[in-house]
Amino acid sequence: MTLFSLARKNIKGNFNNYFVYFVTLVFSMVIYYTFTTLQYSEKIQESIELSDTMSFMFGVSSIILILFVAIFILYSNSFFTRKRKKEVGLYAILGLRKKTIAKMLFYENLIMGIIAIVIGIILGTLLSKLFAMILIKLMGSIAEVDFGISILAITQTVIVFMVIILFTSVQGYRLIYRFTLIELFYDEKKGEQIPKVSLITAVIGVIFLVVSYWLILKPFPDEFTTEYLIKNYGIAFVALVIGTHLFFRSVTVYLLRLSQKNKSRYYRGTRIIETSRLLFRIRGNARTFTVIALLSAATICFLGATYSGYYSNEKRAKEVVPFSYSHLSKGPEFDSQVESIIKADHRHPIKAQLDIPVIQVKGILSFQLDYDINPVKLISESTFNKVANALNKDETVSLSGNQAAVIQPRFTEYTKSVFKGENITIQLPQGSSELPFVHMVESNVLPFDYPDFFLVVSNEMFAEIAKKEAPLTYKVYEVENEVTAQATSKKVNKLVGNDFQVSSSFYTEYKQGKEGNAITLFIFGFLGLVFLAATGSIIYFKQLTEANEAKGHYEILRKIGVNKKDIRKSIKRQSLFVFGLPLTIGILHSCVALYFTSNFISNLIGINLIFPILMAIVFFVIIYAVYYVLTVNTYNRIVNK
Amino acid sequence: MKTIVEAKQIKKVYGAKGNVFSALEDIDLTVMEGEFVGIMGPSGAGKSTLLNILATIDEPTAGDIVVDGINLTKMNEEQLSAFRRDKLGFLFQDYNLLDTLTVKENIILPLALAKLNVEELERRADEVADKFGIRDILNKYPYQISGGQKQRTAASRAIISKPNLILADEPTGALDSKSATDLLESLKDLNEQDKATILMVTHDAYAASYCNRVLFIKDGKIFTELVKGKRSRKEFFNKVLDVLSALGGGANDVI
Ligand SMILES: Nc1ncnc2c1ncn2[C@@H]1O[C@H](COP(=O)(O)OP(=O)(O)O)[C@@H](O)[C@H]1O
Ligand SMILES: [Mg+2]
Repeated sequence: MTLFSLARKNIKGNFNNYFVYFVTLVFSMVIYYTFTTLQYSEKIQESIELSDTMSFMFGVSSIILILFVAIFILYSNSFFTRKRKKEVGLYAILGLRKKTIAKMLFYENLIMGIIAIVIGIILGTLLSKLFAMILIKLMGSIAEVDFGISILAITQTVIVFMVIILFTSVQGYRLIYRFTLIELFYDEKKGEQIPKVSLITAVIGVIFLVVSYWLILKPFPDEFTTEYLIKNYGIAFVALVIGTHLFFRSVTVYLLRLSQKNKSRYYRGTRIIETSRLLFRIRGNARTFTVIALLSAATICFLGATYSGYYSNEKRAKEVVPFSYSHLSKGPEFDSQVESIIKADHRHPIKAQLDIPVIQVKGILSFQLDYDINPVKLISESTFNKVANALNKDETVSLSGNQAAVIQPRFTEYTKSVFKGENITIQLPQGSSELPFVHMVESNVLPFDYPDFFLVVSNEMFAEIAKKEAPLTYKVYEVENEVTAQATSKKVNKLVGNDFQVSSSFYTEYKQGKEGNAITLFIFGFLGLVFLAATGSIIYFKQLTEANEAKGHYEILRKIGVNKKDIRKSIKRQSLFVFGLPLTIGILHSCVALYFTSNFISNLIGINLIFPILMAIVFFVIIYAVYYVLTVNTYNRIVNK
Repeated sequence: MKTIVEAKQIKKVYGAKGNVFSALEDIDLTVMEGEFVGIMGPSGAGKSTLLNILATIDEPTAGDIVVDGINLTKMNEEQLSAFRRDKLGFLFQDYNLLDTLTVKENIILPLALAKLNVEELERRADEVADKFGIRDILNKYPYQISGGQKQRTAASRAIISKPNLILADEPTGALDSKSATDLLESLKDLNEQDKATILMVTHDAYAASYCNRVLFIKDGKIFTELVKGKRSRKEFFNKVLDVLSALGGGANDVI
């Protein structure tokens, strides 16, 4: 028998064990392939607004993906090799030279890797089209997905994964040399001893977690500097990592030990078996649990945040660009040119059309505000009310004399109380005048342009100032069904040019936001899937290994008179703990982190993020549940035949 | 006196068509309450197979088994499990202790599974621990104690639920002679004082000499039977050796 065929036989024999790992490997290849295909796909990029961003983002995320996958593959492989020490020892006893065995393992890994790559590329070609369709759907585009086979993507995928697989193969080859024969035979058992309870480390773990939560949930300071950001959240992050590890290492041990104290509960049914097994295994699993909890937390957090962004895009866009089209009046000829373009679009009839006179003046606040307000933009009370009406908003103002209402500058969190009782002195050619703030309103009028400091003044006041300081007139249009006004928006944008920092048409802002969010959502979604698949696969494999070690254990139980149903139940409970604990901690962490981010986001855009975040968590739980079921079934098949 | 085990015409065939192997052929066996019965025979004779079938861990290919008035062949998996838990006690060569449980937890496991209340459970644990002299090691883990202590732990577990029948498969096989004697003495006490019914597989004539009666199996069939009667243990031991040599090669090379 040649080495090659022996290796092949081994793979076949071990296939059941490797199956989940293999599927995960193939899956990550498919995702990598999809990312690179999208990175190079000109067809899709032509059809969207954010083409260069898209290429860049897929480039970056494929690097993140590959880093993660490399770690996953390395970890899994060292795990497999260690698990197979006995088998290797047997070969050695049978007279195979180490070199020969090492070569065999090398081939094994290589064959499996190559098969995975081939399947990965084939599935990738098929599935990437589907995935791209999902992306296009998310972006709300109507582009044809017609990228056939991307040679560039295939080459890159093959090269990158070949390098990783060759590296792990060499690693496996070297591992054999590091063991002596005796080590190959006697391993496994020795490390398993009942962990000692250390109340101190358990308490320290809890303290670390509490401190980190406290730092994260602490309200924002008045001044939000980078230094604060790094200091506060940097410490929080480190404390979170250490705390999580200590939690799994000591706190769980402590809690399990505590649960053993309650004899009438502990000495009842199979609980005694599960608790003691978990207790024995917890030290060996602590590191994996920590990594999984933190990884889940990060993924849920990013996924929740991006989904929130995607979910709230329309609202955000409407705030940044309130009207379907806005432009600065540049004479009757130009204005009517714009108007005729908009009017020509019969699918998007005009609902409202307004002229917005704006006077720009210099103003000085009666108090310190860390916002650059000049030039202050003045609009009249009636203009504001007309705008509110045109945009179907209930907000109206009524002012008299030199009273003024401030429109909350966008992307800030100033509240009414900031302006209450204060005033602004504006400088006019005829001298300065003091305007007391009486209101703060939130309806915006024109597309965002920094500094975004609008003041609403009474009609009389406006007319008075206008005599000396000629207003600029903006023309705004609100049309039906503006979210689809692609062609007209393009034409208007081209004609109008850059009147504002953001686009002058709502559609463009909306679509760009949607595309950007769709791409991040897509990326985080799939990265999350890969993370999940990989971590799930690691837990699965660890459980499987444990099942093989625990065979005797369950055989004894059967002999003592535990029936199959109860054993299955016991396996279920154990696996639930193993999957549930890191996931619960992960969800808890991510909730805390999301509370922080959503505070941040929803303050800016003012919407409820519970739904998207819940979706991200549910998505996570479902995937883990699949692995859980898979694990319970395999575990059961191994020990409870 | 009550009949505890009544097995008739037990057959056990391994393998599928074309390549069948008959491990037990038409075995009849009756054990009365309070008996200490030994089963001997060469390696591969089918002793463990027979014991496992009586223990309901394995199923006979044919035949009827009644234990304590209950017909085993008519029960489903769940009933059998409950039966094992409540009526049988086991002792194996490799102890079969759970290494994640302390000695005490191992001993009380059958009672915990039967959901007995804690006070009763603690009381019985102390009782059996005293009987086997393992009170000092109750809080240790199996990897911290010796083979003899392990087997006494296993024996404690076997009897804690007051089983109607104790089944032992080469319980002294892995013990040194001192530990083996200790265990056999304990089993004898159990049999004489508590009237426990014991069925013990062994290939050690010394161990067999502790029994009231010894069955010899060869190639899946009952070869002969030896009753101790009024003989001393020494005389019985010699008798057993005689039968073993008559039984032929297989038996001696495993001793
Ligand atoms: N699961 C099995 N499959 C096939 N043959 C078996 C199986 N278990 C036991 N045997 C065979 O049945 C015979 C009796 O085995 P066993 O009862 O273990 O013998 P012993 O008397 O040494 O305890 C042996 O020849 C053994 O090879
Ligand atoms: Mg045997």
